[in-house]
Amino acid sequence: MLESTPTLRHNSRYNLVLLSPDPAEEAVLNHHLQPTEEFSCTLRCIETLEQLKQFEIQSLCDAVLLDIRIEKPLAEEAIQYLSRQKGSVALLCLCQNHTQLRQFREVMHSVDDYILAEFLPEGELSTRIAHSIRRCRKEYELLSEQNLLKELLDNIPDAIYFKNTNSQFIKVNTAMARIYDHSGPEEILGKSDFDLFTHEHAQRAYDDEQEIIKTGKPLIGIIEKETMPDGTFKWVTTTKMPLKDNMGTIIGTMGISRSVTELKNAQEALARETALLKTIIEHALAGIYVKDREGRYLVINERHANNLGAKTSKECVGKTLRDFYSPEDADRAMRFDEEIMQTNKGLENMVDQRTLPNGEKTWLLTSKVPFSDDKGNCIGLVGISQDITLQKKNELQLKSTIQTLEETKLQLIEAEKLKTVGRLAAGVAHEVKNPLSVVLLGVDFLLSQGELDPDITSMLTDMRNAALKANEVVFELLDYSSPHEVSLVPANINETIEHVLTLMRHNLRKAHVTLIDERSQELPKVYIDASKIDQVFINLILNAISVMPKGGELIVKTYTKRMNATGANVSSEMTEHFRIGDTIVVVEILDTGTGIDDNHQNKVFDPFFSTKTTGEGTGLGLSVTRSIVDMHRGMITLENRENQVGACARILFPTADKA
Amino acid sequence: MNDTPDTEPTRILIIDDEASFTRMVKLNMQNAGNYVVETLNESLQARMVAKQFKPHIILLDVVMPEADGGDVATTLRESEQTKNIPIIFVSAMVSRKESHRGLYRSGGEYFLAKPVSSDLLVDAIHQVLNA
Repeated sequence: MLESTPTLRHNSRYNLVLLSPDPAEEAVLNHHLQPTEEFSCTLRCIETLEQLKQFEIQSLCDAVLLDIRIEKPLAEEAIQYLSRQKGSVALLCLCQNHTQLRQFREVMHSVDDYILAEFLPEGELSTRIAHSIRRCRKEYELLSEQNLLKELLDNIPDAIYFKNTNSQFIKVNTAMARIYDHSGPEEILGKSDFDLFTHEHAQRAYDDEQEIIKTGKPLIGIIEKETMPDGTFKWVTTTKMPLKDNMGTIIGTMGISRSVTELKNAQEALARETALLKTIIEHALAGIYVKDREGRYLVINERHANNLGAKTSKECVGKTLRDFYSPEDADRAMRFDEEIMQTNKGLENMVDQRTLPNGEKTWLLTSKVPFSDDKGNCIGLVGISQDITLQKKNELQLKSTIQTLEETKLQLIEAEKLKTVGRLAAGVAHEVKNPLSVVLLGVDFLLSQGELDPDITSMLTDMRNAALKANEVVFELLDYSSPHEVSLVPANINETIEHVLTLMRHNLRKAHVTLIDERSQELPKVYIDASKIDQVFINLILNAISVMPKGGELIVKTYTKRMNATGANVSSEMTEHFRIGDTIVVVEILDTGTGIDDNHQNKVFDPFFSTKTTGEGTGLGLSVTRSIVDMHRGMITLENRENQVGACARILFPTADKA
Repeated sequence: MNDTPDTEPTRILIIDDEASFTRMVKLNMQNAGNYVVETLNESLQARMVAKQFKPHIILLDVVMPEADGGDVATTLRESEQTKNIPIIFVSAMVSRKESHRGLYRSGGEYFLAKPVSSDLLVDAIHQVLNA
């Protein structure tokens, strides 16, 4: 192998070395090597091989003259050494005559020329030396060229081949043999593609090559699929060219094939993956999209286009949210995007409401992740958004249904309670009234027995009153549980109140309660069941009297009012009954009693709640009152008066024109 | 008409499962004037007793075990001999309003609310018989 090409000297002055133990020979040779126009030289004489070995021969000289008129083994050793080391240096042997030369038959092929000392005409030596040097140099150059080519063919991983006009291989390189599973290039020689590949492939290659031979036009860089007889295949990129002889005649083809199977497989895998990804994106049941750093859609599937209110994904590419949503919605969403890209942190399952250009409100469930270039700079984001408007609507509906159910449940419980109380009341009425009848009739009978001791008369009267009081309690129970039906007719509530006040005048006077009448004279009619509503006012007035044992003032007020925006006193219950803008009639019954204890505020309308001592009240009065007001679609509140002692019972009725 | 003992006394049949009640009514009525009162605590025997006793008027409880007031009235009205005897239902199952009115009519029937006073009873009977 040649590590370095020696500098070849092209002038006609040669450096020669004479290896000879005889110093006299130098003079003899110098005599023969007189300079001429074509030839001049310097001759250096070295006596032994050992001395010569000190030098690198190629840099030392152009030719070595080896005097073999020495002991034969020594001469042979020198020939062998020099023939190995000489490179481009010419090696000539100097022998005595043919006889001596014949003794070196076996090694003479390693020598470039020989010179017979006995037959050395004038000028012969310099001509022979110059010729040998030139020939050696040429051979050496050729060898170098050949070697380059051999190195290329032996080491390049691509398959290189030469074929004759019948497309039979005349030379292939090592790689080709290896690629097509042959132990060496020689195994392939003489074969054709038909021996290596399927007929189909071989035929196509053959046709190509015949075309090249015919036209001289090469095929460059074509991609071929080579199918082996066992069914496996390789992808190669191939260049085929005409092979010409020295005369320029096409004598076959030559080509080089590089395997691109892996590249091709990778390409196909990539294509498959791309197709798969595309399919997933296009058919996903959610909106999928990629945005650049400025929020422009780079990729968007149809579903997300629909989420944006657009028909096709095409019309969305390159646009931003501002092209689809109201500025507020778009800015809000883009602020989120900006934060994701700045912090490089994604967000998951964000629920967001958007308003489409057509005013429709949609709900989206969105997850987004930033994505970055090779250097880690965020260059956009990938998002997936699901339209959950329907679910959201269902959820809201469900919530409202649950609330309705909850309310219904409470109502049912309340109704069931009332039923229970009703059954109880009916039972009690029956079971109590019979004994009461017996007591009253007994008392009547006794009282009718002529002259009685005044004590006995008084006792009997007390008994009668006690029995009547018991009867009253039973009535209250019956009232509470009586069927909740009303027949509402439009009427002036003032008249009802007037009637009740007439009934109650006696009670008020007895309790030293002064009536202050503040009824408005101009009231719209309200729907009432006069027979039921009486009870409401009677109960409230009796209650008021009972909280003023030492007397006081009872104020009865009526007025109209327009429902306005919710104030401090407007409970949710109120908004359920009345709408803003409705005209309502208000009745207020105010007392100057002790007012309502804070702890009792929430319980005053509960059945059986009473602050009166046992025997004074059943605790059903206000509960019944509220039931009746409810039946009138009205509302009752009982609160302490503002800035004044005493309580205020306030009843609100819808006006007849509305109810 | 009931105030003079020589005229024929008014026969009253009172049917109620409460013996103390029927006893009390009987005492009071007999005390109040010229009345003959028969009491019955087993409603199932109403028709038989009515046929024998031939009352001018029947006071009939509504809620009773065995046959209730409605059943009894129906039975009585099925029989030629008893169908024209006026009936006052005496019931504990009435509302306050009704009870304050004393005798009242509802669905073609006479009603009196318990508890009744002896005056109310006399009044009611008088009203029905003179109607």
